[in-house]
Amino acid sequence: MSAMMDDQGSSVMFIRGNQVHSMDGSSLELELETFQRQVTLRFLELAAVGNDDLLSLAWMRKLLDIFILCQDELRMIFFNHRAQVMKPPMDRIVSDFFERCVKALDLCNAVRDGIEQIKQCQRLLEIVLCALDQKRIIGEGQCRRAKKALADLANCMFDDKESSAYMALRNRSFGRNTTIKDLYQIHNQNSNYQHRSVGHFRSLSWSVSRNWSAAKQLQAIGNSLCPPKSNDLVATNGLAMPVYTMSSVLLFVMWALVAAIPCQDRRLQLHILIPRQFPWSAPLLSLHERIMEDSKKKERKNACGLLREIQQIEKCARVINELVDTLQFPLAEEKGEEVRQRVQDLSHVLEALKDGLDPLERQVREVFHVIVRGRVGT
Amino acid sequence: MAENNGEEKLLAVARHIAKTLGHNTNMADDILQIFSNFDGRFSKENLADKVADGDPRACAALDHSLKSLDRRISQFVSSDRPIWADSADAVAFLDAVDELVAAVAEWSQLSTDKAFGACLARAEDMLQHAMFRLEDEFRSLMERAGESFDLTPPYRNGVESVENIPFDSEEEENELETAVNDGAEEDQIPVALPVTDYDIVIDALPAGTINDLHEIARRMVAGGLQKLSIEEVHKMPWQDLEDEIERWIKASNVSLKILFPSERRLCDRVFFGFSAAADLSFMEVCRGSTIQLLNFADAVAIGSRSPERLFRILDVFETLRDLIPEFEALFSDQYSVSLRNEAITIWKRLGEAIRGIFMELENLIRRDPAKVGVPGGGLHPITRYVMNYLRAACRSRQTLEQVFEDYGHPLKDYPKLDDRVAPNSSLSVQMDWIMELLESNLEAKSKIYNDPALCYVFLMNNGRYIVQKAKDSELGTLLGDDWIRKHTAKVRQYHVQYQRSSWNKVLGILKLDGSSNGSLGPNGAAKSMKEKLKMFNTQFENLCRVQSSWFVFDEQLREEIRIALEKILLPAYGSFIGRFHTELGKNADKYVKYGVEDIEVKLNDLFQGSSGSTGSRK
Repeated sequence: MSAMMDDQGSSVMFIRGNQVHSMDGSSLELELETFQRQVTLRFLELAAVGNDDLLSLAWMRKLLDIFILCQDELRMIFFNHRAQVMKPPMDRIVSDFFERCVKALDLCNAVRDGIEQIKQCQRLLEIVLCALDQKRIIGEGQCRRAKKALADLANCMFDDKESSAYMALRNRSFGRNTTIKDLYQIHNQNSNYQHRSVGHFRSLSWSVSRNWSAAKQLQAIGNSLCPPKSNDLVATNGLAMPVYTMSSVLLFVMWALVAAIPCQDRRLQLHILIPRQFPWSAPLLSLHERIMEDSKKKERKNACGLLREIQQIEKCARVINELVDTLQFPLAEEKGEEVRQRVQDLSHVLEALKDGLDPLERQVREVFHVIVRGRVGT
Repeated sequence: MAENNGEEKLLAVARHIAKTLGHNTNMADDILQIFSNFDGRFSKENLADKVADGDPRACAALDHSLKSLDRRISQFVSSDRPIWADSADAVAFLDAVDELVAAVAEWSQLSTDKAFGACLARAEDMLQHAMFRLEDEFRSLMERAGESFDLTPPYRNGVESVENIPFDSEEEENELETAVNDGAEEDQIPVALPVTDYDIVIDALPAGTINDLHEIARRMVAGGLQKLSIEEVHKMPWQDLEDEIERWIKASNVSLKILFPSERRLCDRVFFGFSAAADLSFMEVCRGSTIQLLNFADAVAIGSRSPERLFRILDVFETLRDLIPEFEALFSDQYSVSLRNEAITIWKRLGEAIRGIFMELENLIRRDPAKVGVPGGGLHPITRYVMNYLRAACRSRQTLEQVFEDYGHPLKDYPKLDDRVAPNSSLSVQMDWIMELLESNLEAKSKIYNDPALCYVFLMNNGRYIVQKAKDSELGTLLGDDWIRKHTAKVRQYHVQYQRSSWNKVLGILKLDGSSNGSLGPNGAAKSMKEKLKMFNTQFENLCRVQSSWFVFDEQLREEIRIALEKILLPAYGSFIGRFHTELGKNADKYVKYGVEDIEVKLNDLFQGSSGSTGSRK
């Protein structure tokens, strides 16, 4: 037997020998029912959110909170019914579940890198903010600095596969839907910025090998995931059900994380299969649909991540870049005012980032720990 | 405006520092460029698919580029001259190494095609040679640099190699300080310092040397490590993982003790006065490598808890433990403190893994089935395995104490130990428990034997082995003298029980009851004695036949058993034969088959294991 560890890593309970709790059938039924109900309620609440808040930093944190709670509750169920958990077919079902969980660990690590990439963007924005600070008199030098930082920002927010395609683009009109990447193009042509350095932010941050793919990991997590067969349900006294539920939750949460945060080889068009017949299906399906819709929108198509704040960064940066291009020196009064306004918008975005990124990073790490903790000794 | 330009320059330098570390990954792009020059179809995407199909042309192209790399690298590796004596040579060598490192990383991921695998093996071999050469160059650079400088004690705490520099007055101390500060132009007192460990005074080395060392160290680290996901680590065959752990240990030490401190120095120098910028720049540069190192250690900690992994996982645990001070020194600012916390968390997880391994060992012992008895009641493989395992484990006693102390086992889980004196430590409790489990398991196994005497022989053998192995090792110290005494006594008990269960009957036959003569009459006494002798001979022969095939591995134990038997059997037999002669007179010799000496001889044959296993003592 093995010990299950609590938060501090000390053993909650050591079981030696064959001492085992035998809980009667009715309490198991109650536990299973409660678990399903909790999952459903939590996701219903999560889904009842406006489009502006979907995939925001705050929403992501709620999502991860839910995951952590559910995972811990499942762990308790396993613990209360240890004898059953170790007998076939439950032992196979549980070990499959843990296999999926291990794949999720790698995704957690990749997402952590992605959050770091967003922090890079945050720092670049801080440079822009500093350059166009209203306390100074804004001159050409500051503008150049701001533009350079914005160009770096574009570089930072590139999707891996897209970069080469964009490199090829030469003549592109400066229209309303111009994205940051276009601006990068222009900048690249106008300056001696080395092609080499396109890779530099990414190569610094990625702790995974070049062939690792977030999409493949997700695929593997969802691989042959299907509702438990009726004979399995009977043989396990229904314990197979919460395992399936949690596997689905795991898949969805990881999918949402990859959708929101920059990762190597995201490929969002990858569909995950969510079953229709369970009470928790409805909120998951609704969220899935909405996020997919979001990803298909023109301006979001090539985003490095669907996180709401990334969209805000893009918008803000584009606006400021356009504005800076139109500036003539010395600065006219209204222009100065406009700059001040935009800079204020920018500082709001930065505040949100500053407040939200570190806690999110910590939570992703907590998800990692929770998954590791949940592995009863194999 | 000037202020702006200054800041811009600083930022540009920061980016440059960051770029140099990213430089490595782009090498792969260059390799692919070479391929596409051969044939336009060999792009990265195409190459991946083609190699999987075993395309001979792809392999030929790789072979070609490998040969060219070989030429470039061999010329340096085989040269006697120090490569770093000429900066152009150094650059050329480093470039070749970079290409090779990237190539190996790239190809390792691509396919398992046989011919391809052979290419890869050659490349890795080449890389190994290059790494050795880098280490040599590194060492001689440090030695040469140390020779031209007078290392000042105030800059270093307790470096042994600096002992031979005396300074008697504060004045002298200040002079030396100034000399180091002002660099190479001052008069130096040439002192040959053998720099054998990684504690180098980076400040005192000329800037060019720092850079060279830095460049070398970077390749040493890059050449070592692959970027492995947790899944990949879990799927690796154990032997490969062991090799990877070796490399990780080297890379971690080089990174934490040389590479990162020198990066830190550079950042601090460049951003002198702007500590936040220095912190940020340092973190950006080192984060990727640090996370890669920590992820690997984490993957090891989360992986399988098979007992065979104990020793390697202990290595990783100890390496990380010893590097925590470096983590604390380097990663204490606001940007990098999370890295330090990660290191500590992962280190603790490694401790959990080690505890988990011992639990797995417990399960293994408990589950070991009692199926077929070891022939001749000899040593059971599980006894041998467990005792040797624990002996080996206890060589790392200090580390294990540390691992178990933080998460001590509550005594109430060990009901059998309630009555003992409080154990020394959680580790000794754990060892004690494992021994309990082993003994229970052996007891269950002993019941397989039909013959109760054999059952005791089995217990004697295994019990003896356990005590022997425990006695002269750290394990014995952990278990305590009391334990050893108790278990030695146990073996003696088994001995006594063996003797009773198999020999009491025979001894009973030889018993002379003084008063029986009269009741049986003159012929009756002789007849009964003849019957008794006959019975004795049969049973004795039987016992000897059966017990010769039994085995006692320990020479000394065998002697003890034999001597004990002799002590009680020979006198009893002697007395019996004496009485026999008295009763039967001249005819006695007709019936007496064995003399006392003959009995002794037959006893010698016991426990030789003649028809069973002739296992060795170990």
